[in-house]
Amino acid sequence: MGSRLRTYLAALAAALLLIGCGSFQVNPPLARYDPSSGYRFEKLEQGSNSDKLFVILVFSGGGTRASALSYGVLEALRDTQIQWENRKMSLLEEVDVISSISGGSFPAAYYALYGLQIFDEFPNRFLYRPIQSELIDATLTPAGLLKLGGGSFGRSDLAAEFYDREVFGAGTYAEVIARGRRPFVILNATDMTTGTQFPFIQDQFDLLCSDLSGISLGRAAAASSAYPGGLTPLTFQNYAGKCGYHQPEWVDRAVRDHKSRINIRRAARAENRLSYTDTGHNPRKYVHLTDGGVADNIGLREPLTAINSLNNSWSVLRLINQKKVDKLVVIVVNAGTNPTTSRDQTPEVPGLVDTLTAAAVVPLGNYSFDTLELLRQTVNEFNESMRLVSGCKELAASKGPQCELDIPVPHQIEFFPIEVAFEYIEAADERNWFKNLPTTLELPRETVDKLRMVGQQILNEDPEFKRLMEALHGCTALAGQRC
Amino acid sequence: MEFVIVSYPARRPVYVDGDLSGYTNEVLQMDAGTHKFTLGPPEDCDPVFCEVMVKGTNVLLPMKIAFIRKW
Repeated sequence: MGSRLRTYLAALAAALLLIGCGSFQVNPPLARYDPSSGYRFEKLEQGSNSDKLFVILVFSGGGTRASALSYGVLEALRDTQIQWENRKMSLLEEVDVISSISGGSFPAAYYALYGLQIFDEFPNRFLYRPIQSELIDATLTPAGLLKLGGGSFGRSDLAAEFYDREVFGAGTYAEVIARGRRPFVILNATDMTTGTQFPFIQDQFDLLCSDLSGISLGRAAAASSAYPGGLTPLTFQNYAGKCGYHQPEWVDRAVRDHKSRINIRRAARAENRLSYTDTGHNPRKYVHLTDGGVADNIGLREPLTAINSLNNSWSVLRLINQKKVDKLVVIVVNAGTNPTTSRDQTPEVPGLVDTLTAAAVVPLGNYSFDTLELLRQTVNEFNESMRLVSGCKELAASKGPQCELDIPVPHQIEFFPIEVAFEYIEAADERNWFKNLPTTLELPRETVDKLRMVGQQILNEDPEFKRLMEALHGCTALAGQRC
Repeated sequence: MEFVIVSYPARRPVYVDGDLSGYTNEVLQMDAGTHKFTLGPPEDCDPVFCEVMVKGTNVLLPMKIAFIRKW
């Protein structure tokens, strides 16, 4: 055995002794359930942000492609001036909620932690960096390999450490809570066992009797972006039953409703909550989280529940019923692609990899399509009720003034569903170029800049965004207007 | 979407499943299912709470839930 090899082995043994096999970073327990503290929508200061104009941003998955596109939309919102409640302000100041998935979770988390500093720091800290190569390098170091030797430490744990160190400056939710202001940023992962969305908010961590404030944004972003195959799921400890937590009132009723099939979706949400707190025969001691895109690659499902249900920790419907919301804006930034394939140019039977990739990707795309359809249906439902009432009134009034109807109506809102997606790029060549971008955590600087620009461009061209600008007397820098 | 009017002789906050969700004598929107309705203080209404399955309503025919004053 050569002396160099002996030295190497000795160093390896020493490293093993020093570091040992890695174990996942344990999420802290919650000493006592307290619905008045923690990262919750209602605990955030509104400041000058008015509920009357309620703005929700949704950032989809798609690696750096999604991060850059979402970042471009944030830039556009910063540069969009509106007139609201006798004030001239940036539309970004009115954003109330951001819901994000995977690649979209990086700008979302950065904005949650550092606010407007994102515009000075995020491109160099994340967008322009070859994050994927740096992650592989970090994995292939002796320390990285040793840590990965443990069964409870995976590549996403290493990625979380990397994001903490290199991107988010080890910021935790305690710092986001300390900032104490909107937007309420929801990073979404997927619970591997239930297949449901797992949002990083205290309402969700209450179920585990765990304190979200002790969790880093790097770890949350790593869970949200744990792309299956390339990255491993992340493990979280479940301390359910140890903090005096009790489920919200609606859960029990929704479960009882299950048999009557009245609202299966609500019952399923209730049963999902109970799966974490069940301390019976087969308690879930741990929860394994994978990429948020597995449950919903758009990030829109959680906001849709908030818009359609009173039984949500940040229900927008409750605010509408209280007449607090007049204009509801949902901006979906969808970095979904549709890569060109040569599959249909030959009679050959597609290979195993091609077939399995299609099996994984096609349902995801179809589900995303349906999710966006749900948003349109929701808008239609809100508008339909008003159309029905005014139609009835008009019909009755046409019979004479004695027939005029006084129909009580719910509080009416103006709904602005806005979608930023490559499919809305007019020029076919340009559209195809964007739709063929890969899903990776590193893209050339020029590609990142093109994504930023196209995000701003598509937003400004969206018909609903134009309608919003008219309603708010807004103007956008990109249109060359003086604000 | 379902539609409900919780009636009471005065304007009171309406709690649905424990959360403030609107006010009496106004049309409230909610998801279908069994909900518990209570009114904000003072506790002078009858019944104290109402647990109702809300389904099959529309904006022209909202469900009506009546609370009356106890004294």
